[in-house]
Amino acid sequence: MARKRDTAGMVVCSLFILLGGAALWDTTRMLDRDSYVYPRAVAVLMIVFCLMYIGRQLLLPPKELTESLEAQTAQRGGSTPRRVGLVVTLFACALAMPYVGFLIAGSAAFAVMLLIAMYDPWTRFRIVVYPLVSAALVLGFYFLFKSAFLVPLPTAPFL
Amino acid sequence: MSFEFMWAALSPENFLLALGGVVAGTVIGALPGLTATMAIAVLVPFTFSMPTAAALILMGAIYTGAIYGGAYSAILLNTPGTPSAIATTFEGYPMAKRGDGDLAITVACLASVIGGMVGALFLLGLAPPLAEVALEFGPTEYFWLAMFGLTLIASLSEGNTLKGLIGACFGLLIACIGVAEISSDVRFTFGSNVMIGGIETVSALIGLYCVPVLIDLVATPDRHLKVTHETRGFRLGEATSILSRRWVNAVRSSVIGTIVGILPGAGGSIASLVAYSEARRTAPAGNKFGDGDPDGIIASEGANNATVGGGLIPTLVLGIPGTPTDAVILGALLVQGVRTGPNLFTEGGGSIVYTFMAGLFIATALMLPAGLLIGRYAYKSIITIPKALLVPSVAFMCVIGTYAIRNSTSDIAIMVVLGVIGWILNRFGFTPSPIVLGLILSRIAENGFVQGWIIGEATGNPLTGFFARPISFVLILVILLSLFYPMLKPRLVRRLARQEGRS
Amino acid sequence: MRRAARMVMTAAAAAMVAGVGFSTGAVAAYPDQPITYYIPFGPGGESDVTARFQQPFFKQKFGQDFIITYKPGGGGAVGWSQLNKMKGDGYTIMGTNIPHIIIQPEQSQIGYQTDDLVNVYFFHFTPDAIVVKDDSQFKTLKDLVDYAKANPGKVTFGGSGKGSANHLAQIMFDEAAGIKSTYVAFGGTGPSVTALLGGQTMAQWGYTTVPKQFERTRLLAVAMDQRHPGFPDVPTFKELGYEMSGGTYRGIAVPKSASEETRKKLADMIEAINKDPAFIKKMLDGGFAMLDVKYGKSMDDFMAKMKTIYIKAAKEAALVK
Repeated sequence: MARKRDTAGMVVCSLFILLGGAALWDTTRMLDRDSYVYPRAVAVLMIVFCLMYIGRQLLLPPKELTESLEAQTAQRGGSTPRRVGLVVTLFACALAMPYVGFLIAGSAAFAVMLLIAMYDPWTRFRIVVYPLVSAALVLGFYFLFKSAFLVPLPTAPFL
Repeated sequence: MSFEFMWAALSPENFLLALGGVVAGTVIGALPGLTATMAIAVLVPFTFSMPTAAALILMGAIYTGAIYGGAYSAILLNTPGTPSAIATTFEGYPMAKRGDGDLAITVACLASVIGGMVGALFLLGLAPPLAEVALEFGPTEYFWLAMFGLTLIASLSEGNTLKGLIGACFGLLIACIGVAEISSDVRFTFGSNVMIGGIETVSALIGLYCVPVLIDLVATPDRHLKVTHETRGFRLGEATSILSRRWVNAVRSSVIGTIVGILPGAGGSIASLVAYSEARRTAPAGNKFGDGDPDGIIASEGANNATVGGGLIPTLVLGIPGTPTDAVILGALLVQGVRTGPNLFTEGGGSIVYTFMAGLFIATALMLPAGLLIGRYAYKSIITIPKALLVPSVAFMCVIGTYAIRNSTSDIAIMVVLGVIGWILNRFGFTPSPIVLGLILSRIAENGFVQGWIIGEATGNPLTGFFARPISFVLILVILLSLFYPMLKPRLVRRLARQEGRS
Repeated sequence: MRRAARMVMTAAAAAMVAGVGFSTGAVAAYPDQPITYYIPFGPGGESDVTARFQQPFFKQKFGQDFIITYKPGGGGAVGWSQLNKMKGDGYTIMGTNIPHIIIQPEQSQIGYQTDDLVNVYFFHFTPDAIVVKDDSQFKTLKDLVDYAKANPGKVTFGGSGKGSANHLAQIMFDEAAGIKSTYVAFGGTGPSVTALLGGQTMAQWGYTTVPKQFERTRLLAVAMDQRHPGFPDVPTFKELGYEMSGGTYRGIAVPKSASEETRKKLADMIEAINKDPAFIKKMLDGGFAMLDVKYGKSMDDFMAKMKTIYIKAAKEAALVK
């Protein structure tokens, strides 16, 4: 791995410092000592750790970047549009749910995500089987939660 | 106790209830977002029309199964199915990634059975005296317990402790969002009503662990898990030999799990984290911790299943639920008219409780065959389902599970946002585990600190409360040991080697 | 098939409703499906337990299930702020608690106002009480007051979070008795009893339900007008010369969009459960105290009275501006 400063890490640390600052600012309107002592202490600690990290990167001679295994196993490369598509679909599903109900939002998101995750060619078998399996999965989970676990899933106001 | 209770538990109906409960519980636990608490809460009205002992056996079996089931998604999807399985992801997912998912699941099953048995044994034999442990833990002790939990960051973020500490602070801070438990003040919502309820732990777990996996899964056509071999059955022999070599770890973790389970307000997640960090600290040289060491799974799963028995100790003796699931069981007992207390454990008053405990043993034993079979099926389906179906199915499960925890659509949005944040941070070396650790421990740390301080002020010097109480003192020593032991270890090893060279 | 089954059930339910003496008008079929009963807290607390007590009686009287569903968060605020967005067809109801619904909106912007909530019935309350460990040095309330007078600030009371009935009771009693004590807030009744039993706190502001659920606890006095039938030996504060009567009041609310008809009907049904001797016995055995405040003028008067009492106490404690 290249020997260089961890610029991205420093940027993230700066963002965390801003976040800590916002948290500290929010604690100034609290009147009760019990509400602000702890979050203030944590926010200050976070800012101090970030400053330490940035300082170490700037002052100490750059050393080989060592990252934990968890970070290393995170895949590099790959298709960014698909990644963004998945996140946007999930988020849209959450936002739409109160308006169109769980079943519509959930099935639509399922279908879109299936298309996003599809790398194999669409054979005649897959065209028939995938939608069937999807429908079975969606409905299966829907009724498991709705009827067995009695979860009041959102319903569309117009249904 | 006499054998008649065992016979009562072994009646065909009760046996079937235990078996059904374990199977249902395992499936429930494996689905992220479905918890034992929820399943038992749904079951409560049905238990009104059942004999009390039968109802208790069913609830206990579901509970045991669900705690074990959490390991499946932890190992196969890097997503703890229940918060108790957080520590299982640390070693379980790397094992699955390299193609040892089947072995990991079998190890988890064996460790869970051992843990469940140890916890149940303590419940059976020593419940009344052990319940006192729950009372010895005051606010300051909880504060130090949380601090001890945070020391795990040192080993989880080896090589970059500062980033781990920053992540932990972030977790501690976002746990403060919403209405504060003690002061009832609204914090960090910045005027929005979406965040008043704060960040729910299970949805945060799903977001921080599962969403990043999905994001990377969808980006490439590669298989989710490597499959290096033809199906080798359960790999039971291999798992048994691992466990027989590491039996000290299994027993120690089960005892840790029982004791942490007794503490109300701590629970399975903290039990398994503590056991994991102890296993990691005491692991022999050449261990593969961080890279898929089965020892970590033994620790985590042994400990979390031991909390079932452990948590029931204060629940049945003092009426103080050890875990949220115990709170539901206690509620059902109250409705049934069962009065908890030490006299439940004396001969005569206790037949129901002993039948229940016998049922718990039977359920734990049944977990072995049931768990192995379901685990094999879960593993096979995860490795054979084509990616185009795996991704939307897992994502759909995450969405419905997150919703179901608090019946809230905002929680789904929070889950997705946390997932994206977690994925981005991970790219820059800020791993999700310290964040999760902070998120889980924050409330315990804050409440312990504030309460300890107020009590200290009222009775004299606040600092004596934090440092001069015996359990606090021991906890501080353990914290110092776990912080400095990794630094001292290489030196000790070197010195030992030198001495050996000399002799 | 499903439809036929439902019709049979509806008919049965209607027959049962008619049987207990309700007018069989156009909406006589209500309820013809299960009712979702939201508890804005987690499971295991007093709100959950009392809803569980109601569950079988509702089924027995009206043939339908209460589906008890938890919507915890924000000390109940998450549930209450969303109640009015739910369907007002009578099949969605939610538990409400006083003083929570009075104090919270006064404290901060929390997504609802006290008057937004349509309470149809307050069915019980848990009277405030001072709880001590069975081997405590305080044998009577007088012991505690004397000790507190000699050692200002040294008596520590555990209890639920700030602004809860426990906390307000502590404030009101400190004033009534002329003492100064320290309040230590915990995450709920369970944790504060644990601290009491462990000797972390000297006493607890709890409820009459505490000794019924937890071992090794006893009451010094209860904040009721008359002694609780479950504790015939425990005096009331009034007997001992302190004007204290109150606690946490629990009721049921419906979304604002629920029709007048539905609100009344629901109130009638909760009342029918509340008048059932078997239900009353269960509640009293659990240490609860019965209460009957029904939708209509009595509800309005009750809410107005509660608001005056609790906002005054909260102002004194500087909890609200």
